[in-house]
Amino acid sequence: MSIEAINEQLLRAIGVGVALVDLRTLTVQFRNDTFDEWFGSAENAVQLDTLFPDLELSDLVARLEEGATVSKEVSFKVKRRTMTVAMEFNLARGAGDRIAVLVCQNITRIKELESMIDSYSMMVERNTHEIKREKERVERLLLNMMPRAAYEEYKTFGMVSPKLFDPVSVLALDFIGFDDLLRSEDPDVIVSELNDIYSAFDRIGGQFSCQRIRTNGDSYIAVSGVPDPYADHAEALAKSGVRFLRYLARRNETHAIQWVARIGVASGSVIGSVVGTQNYIYDVFGPTVSAAIGYRSMAEPMSIATDTSFVGLAGSDFATRPLADTEHVILTEQTQPASFG
Amino acid sequence: MSRSLFDKYGGFSTVSKIVLTLYDRLLDDDDVGPFFDDVDLPSIIDHQTKFVSSLMGGPASFTDEHIEKAHRHLTICPHHFDRLEALVTEVLTEFEVEPADIDTIVGAFEARRGLMVE
Repeated sequence: MSIEAINEQLLRAIGVGVALVDLRTLTVQFRNDTFDEWFGSAENAVQLDTLFPDLELSDLVARLEEGATVSKEVSFKVKRRTMTVAMEFNLARGAGDRIAVLVCQNITRIKELESMIDSYSMMVERNTHEIKREKERVERLLLNMMPRAAYEEYKTFGMVSPKLFDPVSVLALDFIGFDDLLRSEDPDVIVSELNDIYSAFDRIGGQFSCQRIRTNGDSYIAVSGVPDPYADHAEALAKSGVRFLRYLARRNETHAIQWVARIGVASGSVIGSVVGTQNYIYDVFGPTVSAAIGYRSMAEPMSIATDTSFVGLAGSDFATRPLADTEHVILTEQTQPASFG
Repeated sequence: MSRSLFDKYGGFSTVSKIVLTLYDRLLDDDDVGPFFDDVDLPSIIDHQTKFVSSLMGGPASFTDEHIEKAHRHLTICPHHFDRLEALVTEVLTEFEVEPADIDTIVGAFEARRGLMVE
């Protein structure tokens, strides 16, 4: 077998489509088997624009004669599969005739992979977006349960180290006759009303730098001075307490269920931390919290009970009325009568 | 949370090969191939990628309503569905997916037969 014959056989056997184009007649001369397989076998000398109607032939010839390589892509259907072939035309060097070599590579798989990556990345992007939205929802929820500083610490270290906050003020509120309400009213109604009331307390407290720490049934605990120190913590808390009671009194005028609260307030130090590993909750505790809860039980209906040291801190906007012992008092606003009842 | 089959078998790296193999089989198949006669390449690939990803618990999931709506305009007979099920099983077997996992995947597919078959 001659070298030419071996060359021709090699050229026919490779997985690349090869054809020679006569640039004078713009006809396809030699074609290998792969080329025929893709573009159909025909007589030699088939016109180039018959095979590739979208080619700008004059532009192609001009660019080839400048010595450029011309690359094109062509897609066509084989049965129901879309095939894409990348074509590259080069002017044959040293040939006396004006011949261009056309090399075609099957890039169908690459196109299919590109499509798949597009499809997949769109799915992943959508999922990432959903995960981000979910994360924001969880973050909002956690920020309802703990101060931002505690949340940041929890996110970074997976725990919140206990901190002593001093001085701060604590407010403890509950409702007289709550158990009776639960027995006599529809639980859905009670929960819905409590939701309204606690939301109002949160809003009022927020105006005075007080933050709700927890609720437990009818027990509502708020604090001022946590996590950021606040000089007027006692005054802020007393003002919140007074407005809680005023809000309830007004609400009771237009609602069937009467909510009668009592409040205890105290100043001192508390420890703040996330407690628990599974059902974690940010909590503050310590003697000041216990004192506020204790004073709450001394309070008359719709009043605020506290001790004399708190009164000293709360400022001049408040009046007091002594309780049975000399250390504890009922706290009222200066402009208000002695009791809210 | 338990690991999805998508992750177990190597994530997108493996699933992409499964998708392309299934794509080849589907287009060459004279029973189910004709459903894709007039569909362009990106749409078929998109369909296959989501189909395999969702069956294997990857980042795609479709509601039954979505599946029903997407196939409503097609006349899919029981033998078409059976053929696709066989092709999925065949391809998964080639990729050495464990028989129990193939049962899970094909089971999830089979559970939605009523949404697609006429």
